[in-house]
Amino acid sequence: MVKSCCTNTEETWQSYIEMKMEMKIEKTARKRNPLKHRYLRSLRSEFGKYLVIFLLLTFTIGLISGFLVADGSMIIAYRESFEKYNIEDGNFRTDEEISRTNRRDIEAYRVTLSSRSYSIRLYDNFYVEKRMEDGNTLRLFQFRDEINRLCLMDGSFPEKQGDLVLDRMFAENNGIRIGDSIRFGRYDFTVTGLVAFPDYSALFQDNSDAMFDALRFGVAAVGKEDFARFHADELTYCYSWKYVPAEYAEEEKILSDRIMEDIADEIYLEDFLPRYLNQAIQFTGEDMGGDRAMMLILLYIVIVIIAFVFVITMNDTIAREAAVIGTLRASGFTRSELVRHYMALPLIVTLAAALAGNILGYTYFKDVCAGMYYGSYSLPTYVTVWNAEAFVLTTIVPFCIMLVTTFLTLRSRLSLSPLQFLRKDLRPQRDGRKETGRRTAGLCLSPRIPFPVRFRLRIFFQNIGNYAILFIGILFANLLLLFGMALPAVLDRYQASMRDNMLCEYQYFLNIPAYKKDRDYEFDKILTSTFLRLSSMTSEKSAEAFTSYTLRIPEGEALRVENITVYGIKKDSSYIDAPIARGETWISAAYADKCRIHTGDTIRLKEPFEDKTYTFTVDGIYDYMGGLCMFMRTEDLCSTFGLFDDYTSGYFSDQPITDISRDMIATVVDYDDLVKISRQLDISMGGMMIVVDIFAVVLFMILLYLLSRIVIEKNAHAISMTKILGCTDREIAGFYMLTTTIATLLMLAVTIPADNAIMHTIFQYYLAARMTGWITYDIPRGIFLKMFLLGAATYLAVAILELRKIRAIPMTDALKDVM
Amino acid sequence: MLLELKDIRKSYGAGENRVEVLRGISLAVERGEFCVLLGPSGSGKSTLLNIIGGIDTADSGEIAIHDSAASAGEKSVSSAHGRSAARLASMTDRQLTRYRREHLGYVFQMYNLIPNLTVRENIEVGAFLSRHPLDVTEILHTLGLYEHRDKFPNQLSGGQQQRTSIGRAVVKNPDILLCDEPTGALDYNTSREILRLIERVNREYRTTIIMVTHNEAIGAMADTIIRLRDGMIRDRIENTARIPADRLEW
Repeated sequence: MVKSCCTNTEETWQSYIEMKMEMKIEKTARKRNPLKHRYLRSLRSEFGKYLVIFLLLTFTIGLISGFLVADGSMIIAYRESFEKYNIEDGNFRTDEEISRTNRRDIEAYRVTLSSRSYSIRLYDNFYVEKRMEDGNTLRLFQFRDEINRLCLMDGSFPEKQGDLVLDRMFAENNGIRIGDSIRFGRYDFTVTGLVAFPDYSALFQDNSDAMFDALRFGVAAVGKEDFARFHADELTYCYSWKYVPAEYAEEEKILSDRIMEDIADEIYLEDFLPRYLNQAIQFTGEDMGGDRAMMLILLYIVIVIIAFVFVITMNDTIAREAAVIGTLRASGFTRSELVRHYMALPLIVTLAAALAGNILGYTYFKDVCAGMYYGSYSLPTYVTVWNAEAFVLTTIVPFCIMLVTTFLTLRSRLSLSPLQFLRKDLRPQRDGRKETGRRTAGLCLSPRIPFPVRFRLRIFFQNIGNYAILFIGILFANLLLLFGMALPAVLDRYQASMRDNMLCEYQYFLNIPAYKKDRDYEFDKILTSTFLRLSSMTSEKSAEAFTSYTLRIPEGEALRVENITVYGIKKDSSYIDAPIARGETWISAAYADKCRIHTGDTIRLKEPFEDKTYTFTVDGIYDYMGGLCMFMRTEDLCSTFGLFDDYTSGYFSDQPITDISRDMIATVVDYDDLVKISRQLDISMGGMMIVVDIFAVVLFMILLYLLSRIVIEKNAHAISMTKILGCTDREIAGFYMLTTTIATLLMLAVTIPADNAIMHTIFQYYLAARMTGWITYDIPRGIFLKMFLLGAATYLAVAILELRKIRAIPMTDALKDVM
Repeated sequence: MLLELKDIRKSYGAGENRVEVLRGISLAVERGEFCVLLGPSGSGKSTLLNIIGGIDTADSGEIAIHDSAASAGEKSVSSAHGRSAARLASMTDRQLTRYRREHLGYVFQMYNLIPNLTVRENIEVGAFLSRHPLDVTEILHTLGLYEHRDKFPNQLSGGQQQRTSIGRAVVKNPDILLCDEPTGALDYNTSREILRLIERVNREYRTTIIMVTHNEAIGAMADTIIRLRDGMIRDRIENTARIPADRLEW
């Protein structure tokens, strides 16, 4: 037993206490944690790293926040426009003006659903549609003051004869300004205002079009007197309706189906389009909703990547400061105190970036994103609305992701015992507080492997976590890059292939109703049909008559309800180069690709406005990508759908047909129509692609910079030592940089095909679910080479920076251990 | 008595690789005592110090700290002296941390200073942990660091860094100062300077010192010299004629 220097323990204790009482106790020191002084200094010493993280987060959060604010504000404006501009609940077209009696009867119908009775109120919404001298098509309405009221964006509404208001989007795309003159048919008009038609926020000429076309198709309105100047045979009889009462709780589809049945009993319907199926009204809202999801996914992928970068950075910091952490823990710092300490800086940077990003979002990116929408859609004016959800999604959620990720990482990393930190043995504990204190052997590498290779392998395995994050980062950055580079290429290819793949140069669809044999007044119809057929005969030698019929994919049979054009062709057709025999049904390759149909499959289609369905067995697939269609012999088509045997819908022709009255021609489908989808996608997204490319390259550079920097920082001590041993900077770079170089190049080579597969799947799903029509995902191989070279060049730029860093590591680092 | 160890045993590894580092160590240290643990490398002295410091655990045996449990709030039992005692083996991680925070100061061979804190701030880290810290400025003067208070560790010599690390431990006003080879990385003169400081802390603040060293000469400045070899106490000397640190020669 060791004796005390004092004889009496009690006395010692008393004197000890008295002495302590006399000492000046610094109480204030307890209040302030001196570790806080480290934040600013750590920020300064690793400024480059934190700056790029800050900029990346700020840019991403700013972009997404701006997008969400613009998107949210515009969606609100879009939704409010339904009431504000009294948007129709649907419309239908007839071949002639309906009589007062018919109108009264239609409005008198009652549909009872769930004990509520509904009727409709009809509004004339006639229009004249003409192809103008420049080849564009303009649809002219009478100025509306009851339904589908116009939103004036600039100028003034028509006040006198000759005044015309034009859709803003169409005007901008065609360089038409207020005060310009427009010739429409026989009349000249002066543009007095630019407007948004609430029922044409997406300028779909035809609801079955694959894509709207704000370049070649526009809508306009003139005063009542001007509209009255057009002849009755120039008009298209379109009737809009609103439900009475206006608030219908029932499912819109059921209600509109019942209404359609009732109207179809009264009059002949050329078209029937309830609002929920009207792409010109609905597409904008759906697209804005879809973009929102895409942008949020982008945000969270970037946030998760940054969170992992922080995780790697923290792991590196903990490894570097292990002895300090061990000392602090041994001195009595709790694990929670240290977790909070190491969490602070990443969270401060995230919070600062989130705030800066929100400010940027509201001030700058909001206008950029709104401009992108105004560049695609004919939207009414909007007011910026504070978006609490956007704030939560772009600020609170990323902050929480960062908080949870960093907390869990640090909690796990700092769970080691103080002794393990002091010994710099940072493997997880195996048995509670107990640890063996003995290191297990590292990865066994054969001595037959040359030393430099073994050295590089050691570097690789030491940093395998970094490389895993780098892989995910490169995978994502390349996906963005591929998106930016591939979409224009896919559209170009589509346009080029369309030129070679067209059924013919011109498809003329005639204004001849598809009268069915089983209807009343058959004799009248035979006469009318024969008369119209004779009126639409042509002497053009290249013309070949066809019949057509429209069916619809039933709901639930595909991701999207779409119309299928059924072509009836003659035997040995000059335009359809396929051996289609009697009784056979072929489908276009676009239809087969989109709905994943193969030869031998059975498909079910329905009448667009009736419940009647048809079943077909696919006998062949015809290589045609211009539309979703079906081919059969004319005789089969007429017998299947009960049409008159001599029914003709139109002509295939390689030359323009000039001897048919324009009134007899409903539509001409030419190359411009077929590439409408790609043209509009190019206009809508072309500018965005460059932004996406830049974003991808910046993300790629930042990740490479951060992660390769960590590899070098982690080995700074060893690099310093190898310098002392006599290695040149070049040799050291060979050891430390070459590992990252090889890893990066391998990752580039692996991720490009993987991204291609991912992009292919996303592209197909997007087209199948969101768009009418089909585009084949076909990318020129040169794009992959470009991506690889771009990635390699980006890495080269980063490598030069890192090489400078290696040169800057002083040899004294190895000699002076201040830890 | 402040510290009491009974039959402490500790081994590492398992099976054939099992190495017994401590083989039944029992000792007691009085309050204000200066105790030196001497021994060659692998004798178990650092392991023993770590177990006393609560950063390592014993496989068996008891270690009790008297007169401190009540204030620390640890699990306590009545000791033979009638005072409360804290038994380290029964403490949770949180309690051990609190024990270290409130009663211990640590000085290591490597100084383990926080590189981006100044000398003053490094010492303030210790003060922050204590309920009754000493005055930081006074400590800076005592340790001869006042002029260097705004320097960062990489601007200091080894001796200055070790003085800072002692300051960080002492400012807590700990009951026990644990020193693990505090002069192991220093030259003769600097080592004597550090030892003088530790001696002064022991004398002026009546802080109990337990120091691990392999330097035989240092034992002469202690009240008690305990020699360890192969995990066992081979010799205990009560040094009634302590030699001041500045008269030590080696």
